[in-house]
Amino acid sequence: MPKVRPSGDCAVLIEFENRIDPQINQSVRSLALAIETERIPGIHEVLPTYRALMVTYDPFRIEYHLLLEKIEFCMERARTIDPPPGRFFRLPTVYGSAHGPDLQRVSEIVNLSPEEVIRIFSETRFMVYFIGFICGLAYLGGLPEKLRVPRLATPRTLVPGGSVGLAGGQANAIATDQPSGFNYIGRTFVSLYDPHVLPPVPFAAGDEIQFVPVPEEEALKARGERAEDFL
Amino acid sequence: MKAFAVVHPGVHTTVQDFGRPGFMKYGIPASGVADRFSSIVANLLVDNPAGAALLEITLYRLELLALNDLILAVTGGNLSPLLNGNPLPMWQALFIQKEERLIFRARKQGLRAYLAVRGGFSGPKFLDSRSVFVRGMMGNVLKTGEVLETESSMMNLASRKQFPKELIPNFPAKNSLRVILGPQEDRFSSKGIETLLSSEYRVSPQSDRMGYRLQGPVIEHLSGSDIISEPIARGAIQVPGDGLPILLLWDAQVSGGYTKIANVISADLDPVAQVMPGDSLRFKEVTIGEAHQALREERARLEQAKRVIEEQE
Repeated sequence: MPKVRPSGDCAVLIEFENRIDPQINQSVRSLALAIETERIPGIHEVLPTYRALMVTYDPFRIEYHLLLEKIEFCMERARTIDPPPGRFFRLPTVYGSAHGPDLQRVSEIVNLSPEEVIRIFSETRFMVYFIGFICGLAYLGGLPEKLRVPRLATPRTLVPGGSVGLAGGQANAIATDQPSGFNYIGRTFVSLYDPHVLPPVPFAAGDEIQFVPVPEEEALKARGERAEDFL
Repeated sequence: MKAFAVVHPGVHTTVQDFGRPGFMKYGIPASGVADRFSSIVANLLVDNPAGAALLEITLYRLELLALNDLILAVTGGNLSPLLNGNPLPMWQALFIQKEERLIFRARKQGLRAYLAVRGGFSGPKFLDSRSVFVRGMMGNVLKTGEVLETESSMMNLASRKQFPKELIPNFPAKNSLRVILGPQEDRFSSKGIETLLSSEYRVSPQSDRMGYRLQGPVIEHLSGSDIISEPIARGAIQVPGDGLPILLLWDAQVSGGYTKIANVISADLDPVAQVMPGDSLRFKEVTIGEAHQALREERARLEQAKRVIEEQE
């Protein structure tokens, strides 16, 4: 049974098993759909992530114990809900040098050559587990165990948009210039975020992405193009 | 209608309203005014809806030239606003004339001031809100030469609404913030939790609307600082590997992978908006029940403020 914990006074965190796993993530997404479709008065937002989801609520409209009851009811409901199937994106990506400042460090930590790191990383079909961070960052799963590296102890204050990186068994492609504690090994120039449209992000949970290695000139040619053009 | 020309944009001035809650699942934080109480009072004083778009002014040096006759109110932190060189009274509606000059000269108390004009500021909306969120490419900070416009030009009568002195909040340099522990309190040693609850933390200069980095005693983890990335609530106190807490605020990321030791209660977030880098913070543990009670008191304070202003019709 998932565990519910308070996350401040206007949100609760619902935790499933503590692993990055497609099955567990599917349970998270099913519960998110169940809560959203139930339209419970007082519940504002649902944010599904890898293995946990947050539900924000208005304590003036729903009492805490009632909130917990409703969530429990939705957990039952979720068992019969299947999230929609995903799409497959292949994004041109330039690896190393200025576009992947952490490639060398990652290769030293995992004890593989930079070429090997690129090969293993770029052959992976990553699954989009959820959209989060800032500006629609796609959190990706499927990173091979061989490429497990820790986060930076102190996050960088600025990482350029399109950077493709990894940390703690996870991968991501950052959508816009942001602070981050990930290790960045490459960059795609395909547009990953547009604040003028809804949804502002091309990916959805359940989609798959491959970061195809290309020379710098080719990666730059994709600058500003829509991710949907690389399906 | 043209309201102001920006003569000097100040340190960090943005248009804000109540923000855009509802888009977390696309990775978009709610943003919105940092000091909700002050912003609502400013809007009500000039007969705007509580959540009309207004200016959030940080620190000092903003200089504006009125391009029309305007009704405005300035609330929040005291940044020494001057009108044509003379002190401009805060927390009350004022009529100002075309060509008059408004300057925020120096910070005296608090950090953020709010300037509302009757009609509210117009300007681009992103996902149904005018709140500027620079990292999300939703609008930008004010720029020199920019012209700010208002929605309407109803300047028929001079408003005299005033907010009573005894209801104006204080913005001290030492703040005690109430927190609910968790969601990862079990990832810290009891010494680590004790450190958070018994120490004084200074707000670092590396602080903004996204979050405040805090300087002080290192908080001890039990087994590392990394977790599988998960949602972050507003007011969360995240502790990365270096053991120094980061308080996540209005423009913060909606998800992240560092342990969160506690969460500042919603009722205490307005004062946080007025905390200046260098000011100190302490944290005190409360229960969810106490946090909800504090929120009721906060709402009562706001209702009282609304009543007092409305009675001046």
